Amino acid sequence: MAALSAATAIVSIVVPFAAGLSLLGTVPMGLLAYRYRIRAVAAAMIAGSVIAFLIAGMGGLLTVVECAYVGVLTGLVKRRRRGTPTLIVVGLCGSLASGAATVGALMMLSRLRNLIFESMIANINGLARGLSHVPYMQPVSAHLKDGFPRVLTYWPLLIGGGSAVGVLIMILIGWWALSHVINRLSNVAGLQKLDTPPDTGMIAPLPVRLHDVTFRYPRSDHDALGPVTLNVEPGEHVAITGVNGSGKTTLMLVLAGQPPTSGTIERPGGVGLGKVGGTAVIMQHPESQVLGTRVADDVVWGLPPGQSTDVHRLLEEVGLDGLAERDTGGLSGGELQRLAVAAALAREPSLLIADEVTSMVDQPGRAALLRLLAGLRERHRMALVHITHYNNEADSAERIVNLTGDGSRDNTEMVEPAAVPTAKPPPDARSAAPVIEVDGVGHEYASGTPWATTALRDVSFDVHEGDGLLIHGGNGSGKSTLAWVMAGLTVPTTGSCLLDGRPVSNQVGAVAMSFQAARLQLMRGRVDREVASAAGFSQHDKSRVVAALTTVGLDPSLATRRIDQLSGGQMRRVVLAGLLARSPRALILDEPLAGVDATSQRGLLRLLDDLRRRAGLTMVVISHDFAGLHELCPRTLHLQDGAVLPAPARAGGAS
Amino acid sequence: MSAPARRPVVLLRPVPGTSPIHELWAGTKLIVVFGISVLLTFYPGWVPIGLIAALVLTAAWTARIPRGALPSVPRWLWMLVALGGITAALGGGSPYVHIGSVGFGLGGLLYFLRVTALSLVLLGLGAMTSWTTNVAEVAPAVATLGRPLRILRIPIDEWAASLGLALRAFPMLIDEFRVLYAARRLRPREVALTRRARLKRWRAEVIDMVTAAITVALRRADEMGDAIAARGGTGQISAAPSRPRWPDAIALAVVVAVSAAAIVSEWLLLG
Repeated sequence: MAALSAATAIVSIVVPFAAGLSLLGTVPMGLLAYRYRIRAVAAAMIAGSVIAFLIAGMGGLLTVVECAYVGVLTGLVKRRRRGTPTLIVVGLCGSLASGAATVGALMMLSRLRNLIFESMIANINGLARGLSHVPYMQPVSAHLKDGFPRVLTYWPLLIGGGSAVGVLIMILIGWWALSHVINRLSNVAGLQKLDTPPDTGMIAPLPVRLHDVTFRYPRSDHDALGPVTLNVEPGEHVAITGVNGSGKTTLMLVLAGQPPTSGTIERPGGVGLGKVGGTAVIMQHPESQVLGTRVADDVVWGLPPGQSTDVHRLLEEVGLDGLAERDTGGLSGGELQRLAVAAALAREPSLLIADEVTSMVDQPGRAALLRLLAGLRERHRMALVHITHYNNEADSAERIVNLTGDGSRDNTEMVEPAAVPTAKPPPDARSAAPVIEVDGVGHEYASGTPWATTALRDVSFDVHEGDGLLIHGGNGSGKSTLAWVMAGLTVPTTGSCLLDGRPVSNQVGAVAMSFQAARLQLMRGRVDREVASAAGFSQHDKSRVVAALTTVGLDPSLATRRIDQLSGGQMRRVVLAGLLARSPRALILDEPLAGVDATSQRGLLRLLDDLRRRAGLTMVVISHDFAGLHELCPRTLHLQDGAVLPAPARAGGAS
Repeated sequence: MSAPARRPVVLLRPVPGTSPIHELWAGTKLIVVFGISVLLTFYPGWVPIGLIAALVLTAAWTARIPRGALPSVPRWLWMLVALGGITAALGGGSPYVHIGSVGFGLGGLLYFLRVTALSLVLLGLGAMTSWTTNVAEVAPAVATLGRPLRILRIPIDEWAASLGLALRAFPMLIDEFRVLYAARRLRPREVALTRRARLKRWRAEVIDMVTAAITVALRRADEMGDAIAARGGTGQISAAPSRPRWPDAIALAVVVAVSAAAIVSEWLLLG
């Protein structure tokens, strides 16, 4: 299963790479061959070929096949732990074989070959004729004109050899890049969690009795869960609460069939994860658990062949009626989660586990989702285990289990932030010219094509020195586009966005931006290198790295930590450290609290508030939620359908 | 202040609306495009190219594809084509035309035009499919088309499932790559004075970029793996399996007739 999904994801990088730099498309394929079986590479190659064929025809298909070929060769040599000499031997044989294949193909396609050759000769002759009018170039011209057709008579050697050399170069570069990438990825363990042994016999997950159950992840030195003693009876609604690191998600894994490290679990039959009458799980990330491209397809995805499902009734139950034919890509987080509930219900589960399902959903979506979950047991005979860190979400349960695990080890303690090492005017300098002027900005994506969509219309506002502005809007309100415009990353189709009176798109980097997905912004492997590279100073300049880390309240001992070992909140702080070290004119934060647990959220808010008040940093926060942002951002701008709403329409507060 | 907008390449999204072409079974379109591509690589003559071009244009007209669907062609590509055209035209060769007393050899230019036309037709053929097909229909169609391969113990269902998932993950990953690229633009560029330092920086950047892209993809893969496990493994991939119907038979018949005409003409003209 891991192989299949890895193959899938790899395809999605190979295709764009293959389009531009086919040299690099070999690396992901090589990684696939290195980590998984050839079967996964085959699936990736077929899927990639079809997509490339849809995009770029035969040429695209052949490029993907070539990437897969080179990837398999380099990946397998790596996997067998052989060195460069083996690779050179394999590479020589492999490139000769591919050269021979090219020659064979051209032998068969005689007409295409003639066409290509004649056209090449025509171009060369033309070039020769042009050169013959240039003084001193006549001899070159004559050589070209006579020599080229003669050379072409040896085309099998020429083209076969040329293509072999090309493939050999691809193999060598692919090998070099693959070696580096594998080194960098070696400490990134697979994060796939739901990997349960297959069931044998009858499926009956309930009633389940856990007795002194503990769980410890491989290569870890402490228990992530327990010891826990817990029963779940059929038809029961249990809420599981606890702080981050108390093992809530680990408990979900154990309930979903992961064998515990110690203790006993009694069930009458198999867990039946995803099976009819078994256990269903709904997870935190709305986007990544939806597998179908169309809503209706997603409901049935993975059901055994032949089983018929009343898709429309299920969609109606979760409040998505009429959306069956819609693309899942256009749904909001809340709608995606309700779709996941529909997919779970299609399996008529005896046990439904909802793991932090609301944490990435906006306020209205959260309310609808909770109502749906609470009402499920009236219509279905199943037990609901709801894992949440919001206490008010647990209220509708019949029983609340509070996990008190020792979570401190996962949260590196934050030190109190020091002052930002930049001299800034005091925040009350309102009378001066605005820092950012957004004037009549409108933006349309793909304008001029049938797919044109308007993201922003006629948006105007100013941001002054030391301001704290919240740009609030729902899904598709254009708030992210506005953020990109203000950072100078997108040039708006109409209007202008000025920073200190000059177009911000000419000064990319002057306005710092922290993206929603912090991981995407961290490019180096280690914290100190990352901060140094983002801030533009040498990575050996330890004192500046330490200063930057202290500014955002991170312990300097984290400097040598690998990026992939950081928690979500820490990653966000490392991003901020790099950005702030460049003393930006303003800081834009896109959903700064998303995917960060409640404790870290409070810490992050305190830090940001401090930066704005004490250092006078100008801040623009983009969010779909108001939760706790009033302090940080006294001013709020509401966006809807790409336009600014005139009256401050106050939606419900935060949980 | 804004320059006339360049039309971007829009990938894997059908032109809004519906038409007889939109409603054809995705499998039919795949067969047609694949078949014609093979035909044109074997017989890249003027008559086949012309016939297929006519077919593509008719299909585009039937599917009501607006001209705006075509992406803008960057200037360097125009220049490249012009350069190729000029050198080929200078190359001369038969046939000759005479204007007054000056003779022109058109042979080179004709060869060049044929290669260009061939590439355009092949691109147009692929574009027609992606302009009229919802990506959700592609994976089930591949599963149906590949059913005979099951006898050879080829895991066609696994391939179709990963194709479907890849198409689902594709836009999400493209978005993530956009963010990656934007984040890069926001960073200061390291100054490298010597050529050696520049090369070193370039190499480091390539490795950083590839690693970041792979990390993102693998993370996505892990989450997707969890989601697949939560569904109990692979199985059905489509709620309403579409099948070829009689319009598909007509479309196939038309394509076969045109292709046959193209092949016959090639044999008659060139022997």
